[in-house]
Amino acid sequence: MAELNEIIHQPIRLRTMAALVTLGANEEVDFSYLRKLLTVTDGNLGAHLHKLEEAGYIKINKSFVDRKPHTYISATPAGRKVFAEHVAALEVILKGK
Amino acid sequence: MSISPTEAEEALVAIQTIVKKTRRAISTSGAYAFLIVWGIVWLFGFLGSQFFPSEIGRYFWMGIDIIGGVISAVIGARFGRNVRNSKITNSGKQIGLFWLLLIVYCAAAIWVVWPIGNKQFAMLIILFVMIGWMAMGLILSFYPIWGGLILTALALVGYFLLPGFFYLWMAILGGGGMIIMGLYIRNKW
Repeated sequence: MAELNEIIHQPIRLRTMAALVTLGANEEVDFSYLRKLLTVTDGNLGAHLHKLEEAGYIKINKSFVDRKPHTYISATPAGRKVFAEHVAALEVILKGK
Repeated sequence: MSISPTEAEEALVAIQTIVKKTRRAISTSGAYAFLIVWGIVWLFGFLGSQFFPSEIGRYFWMGIDIIGGVISAVIGARFGRNVRNSKITNSGKQIGLFWLLLIVYCAAAIWVVWPIGNKQFAMLIILFVMIGWMAMGLILSFYPIWGGLILTALALVGYFLLPGFFYLWMAILGGGGMIIMGLYIRNKW
């Protein structure tokens, strides 16, 4: 049976994972773009991304695009799996309402 | 960890909201625009071929193709920065350059086979644009390549089976179809 994931359940991390799993398997999103999408501050998003990266749910890729530093974020296969399990657990709880 | 059904519902609503917002953000950041730009180019280009004298129609096509290529390059440059494929780390400039090179190669192919009829001229442009469409679909993976395959098939049907209505066929079904698909992605996706 699917279980709730405490790391993912925090509202900003939940929305972050929802945004990242919406992208394709090999796609990654620019940090600034993700920040605008989630309407959060740099520091706030950075802290939550760090937590998700520590858990192995996301991958942070720092690279240069047109000689400018860019940070790209993507969901890992493990992150996609636990997110799907978390959503399934939420749906089970809702059905038991 | 345990939560109430109300909290679960709120979390699911938050997830659905951000999924919709992400899809819309990706589509409105550029993918739909390629369709609308080339839909407009096709619509006016083919109407020009239908109603303008042959020579003027050809120059009109060349002019709007160049405009379409430049606009696509600008869109590609903007688009590539926000979301990218980690396995194919093309920068926006590379995507833009691809479109410009495609236009140059299309012009070179037309030059090689010149002189050609108006319908052959139009079909060559269609085939090159479709190559670009499908390449973008495969590289950026934001819209499927089936749309490009369907339009190519429609073009070939019009070219071989409906030669008398080919330009109108392509203006309405090809150009109009691309515009509608682009608007659909922008507003509904």
